[in-house]
Amino acid sequence: MHKIHELYTNMREKLRFNSRKERVDFIIHSMFLLATVVSASFIIIIVIFIAQEGMIPFVTDNDGLGAVNLWRFLTGFTWLKGTAFQSNLYAVGYIIINTLYVAFLSLLLAMPIGVLTALFIAKIAPKKIAEVLRTIVEMLAAIPSIVYGLFGAGLILPWIYEFAKIFGVQSKGGNSVLATVLVLSLMILPTITALSEVAIRSVRSDIEHGSLALGATKTQTNFKVVLTSAKSGIFASAILGVGRALGEATAVSLVAGNARSGPSFGLFETTSTLTSTMLQGLKETVGIDYDIRFSVGIVLMVVILLTNVTLNFVKKEVGNVDVK
Amino acid sequence: MSSKRKRIDLIYQGITYAAASIAVIVLSMIFLFVFRNGSGLLNFGLIVNDYHAQFYNGGIEEVTEFSQTPKPSSLGDDVYYSENWGLGLIDGEDREGNAIIEVAYVAADSPLHKMYDKNENDYEDFGLKKGNIVTAIKFYDKNSTLPIYGAEFMINELDTETVFREIDYSNLGGGIRGSLVTTLYVIGLTLLFALPIGIFTAIYLNEFARKNRITDMLRSLIEVLTGVPSIIFGLMGLAVFVPLTVRYTSADSANLLSGSLTLAVILLPVIIRSTEESLKVVPDDFRSASLALGANRTQTTFKVVLPNALPGIMTATLLAIGRIIGESAALIFAIGTAVKDDISIFGKSTTLAVHIWSLMTDEPANIELASTIAIIILIIVLILNLTVKLVSRRFIKTYE
Repeated sequence: MHKIHELYTNMREKLRFNSRKERVDFIIHSMFLLATVVSASFIIIIVIFIAQEGMIPFVTDNDGLGAVNLWRFLTGFTWLKGTAFQSNLYAVGYIIINTLYVAFLSLLLAMPIGVLTALFIAKIAPKKIAEVLRTIVEMLAAIPSIVYGLFGAGLILPWIYEFAKIFGVQSKGGNSVLATVLVLSLMILPTITALSEVAIRSVRSDIEHGSLALGATKTQTNFKVVLTSAKSGIFASAILGVGRALGEATAVSLVAGNARSGPSFGLFETTSTLTSTMLQGLKETVGIDYDIRFSVGIVLMVVILLTNVTLNFVKKEVGNVDVK
Repeated sequence: MSSKRKRIDLIYQGITYAAASIAVIVLSMIFLFVFRNGSGLLNFGLIVNDYHAQFYNGGIEEVTEFSQTPKPSSLGDDVYYSENWGLGLIDGEDREGNAIIEVAYVAADSPLHKMYDKNENDYEDFGLKKGNIVTAIKFYDKNSTLPIYGAEFMINELDTETVFREIDYSNLGGGIRGSLVTTLYVIGLTLLFALPIGIFTAIYLNEFARKNRITDMLRSLIEVLTGVPSIIFGLMGLAVFVPLTVRYTSADSANLLSGSLTLAVILLPVIIRSTEESLKVVPDDFRSASLALGANRTQTTFKVVLPNALPGIMTATLLAIGRIIGESAALIFAIGTAVKDDISIFGKSTTLAVHIWSLMTDEPANIELASTIAIIILIIVLILNLTVKLVSRRFIKTYE
């Protein structure tokens, strides 16, 4: 009690302004602090609200359908058994696998291209060409995801459809793992390129000079020494790229084909990712079909978080090159 | 250097050339694709876009109550008006230069609202609306009136009748105007929410905050927002802002306000970071000089620091506008996908990017119109980005 009183008098002291100027100063100061607290609180609001909505299918009986079994939800290989609103047999197990599968395949495709492009811009290209290329990469990064989706649906899908026919595969209009991977690769390429370029340019020049002095050619130095020294930064770009790939929604939903069960590993099979699943069935605004979308959202956040943690751990293991 | 070494080096170098060319190829392919598919519809008449015109045939029962509305003064002399039917028509031209007749005005008490659909499709709100093109009015006991005779003749023919067999008309389809207006609204609203909060936060973190654990925590909480995918923001909009706006405004579902609030949250980290960068560039001597002259922190911030940081805030705004125009995933949830022509802040409608999504998820997908919208989006976004590049370069030079 005594303490509280002390605090109170302290506050009184603080709030006794000697002039209007001081009072304004205090008010403005508080306003800035309030804005900061508001900005910082949004991530907490996101987590709380999505968790709250996403838990509903598992803890209530969903208007008589019965609670969704969490274990089954996380491990099942069919999105929905039965008809919507009459069944609680939802499962995202295969979708989690699909999501990680297409994300890492995209990384596998975009990584070498991105890193080599970065090396070209940073070390090999003449200044003018490098500047033009840098602008092109920035432009690619600026293109909204919906435009990539349009490009994928309008151009890549027909190509894949024809391509699959050559192999005697009847794909669903081209909607496939391959299409998803291609579109995602295009989308994470600028991210990887830009960040790798920064990493490559920050390699200390004395390391390069040492390599050259030992008689290595410029190209050998670039590939063996520079890339190795920049590998930590390059790995960081990969982590960001995977993060983008996992969270990408509209573009993927236009080319994935919305597979109702899975998992799909074949390149010409339709697939579905956590994000494309969330964009399905937008018509519902109430009931289990609506709530389950938030559950998928929770799963997506957890998947992204775990992937990030894992990759950062791997990055630590890969380690930094330090030349003393 | 041995010739073998040279050969291997050449191959290695060739790989990087090839990789770098992929970026160029991809960019050109995207441009080629949207321009080839979309340029056909790209003109100022895009608002009058009759690409996917839907044709209607409206019939009417015996009319007993006619319109009482006199010709509104807002209509010009080129609008021909039938008082009985409460209908104003105007002569126009389509893109090929053929004469068409457009509906300029339908009175609220017009008997035309009682028209029924002769094709028996179950359209939600069947009826003749402003902007429709009338292709024919057919009567029981005289010749049909066609657009080639002009709007005046059509109105005169209609005005003398108490009934007609059917009105054939079409809507223009692909109403981009609605999405364009929505996008502009959303940009304005979003910046209204995001800029003050973002700039204040940046000022606090950079000018006022003490270096302690709490500040670090606030910083990292804001930092985490950058890594959250936009579809998750969309879910937050759906769970937080949509119910909020439905409760406190006249909205009854996802609306422009909930969409703008959601976008504001997405943009906060962008605006905060960009503003902070520009605040950091302002030399400390400026602050010291101001404080030494007896100004307090607030005065220093508003009179000295902020004016110098304005280019950075400009950059933040431009980047934000680019993001708003391109954002789709979050808005699909937070605004909805209904393409509308009459826009209100508490109503449904959709931005250009989501409009593309709606077109692409329709059966069959309307790739032409989607590409046309994509051209508009691409041009705006790329101009914004290049501007940002130039502005920030200039800005950096100022202090060097």
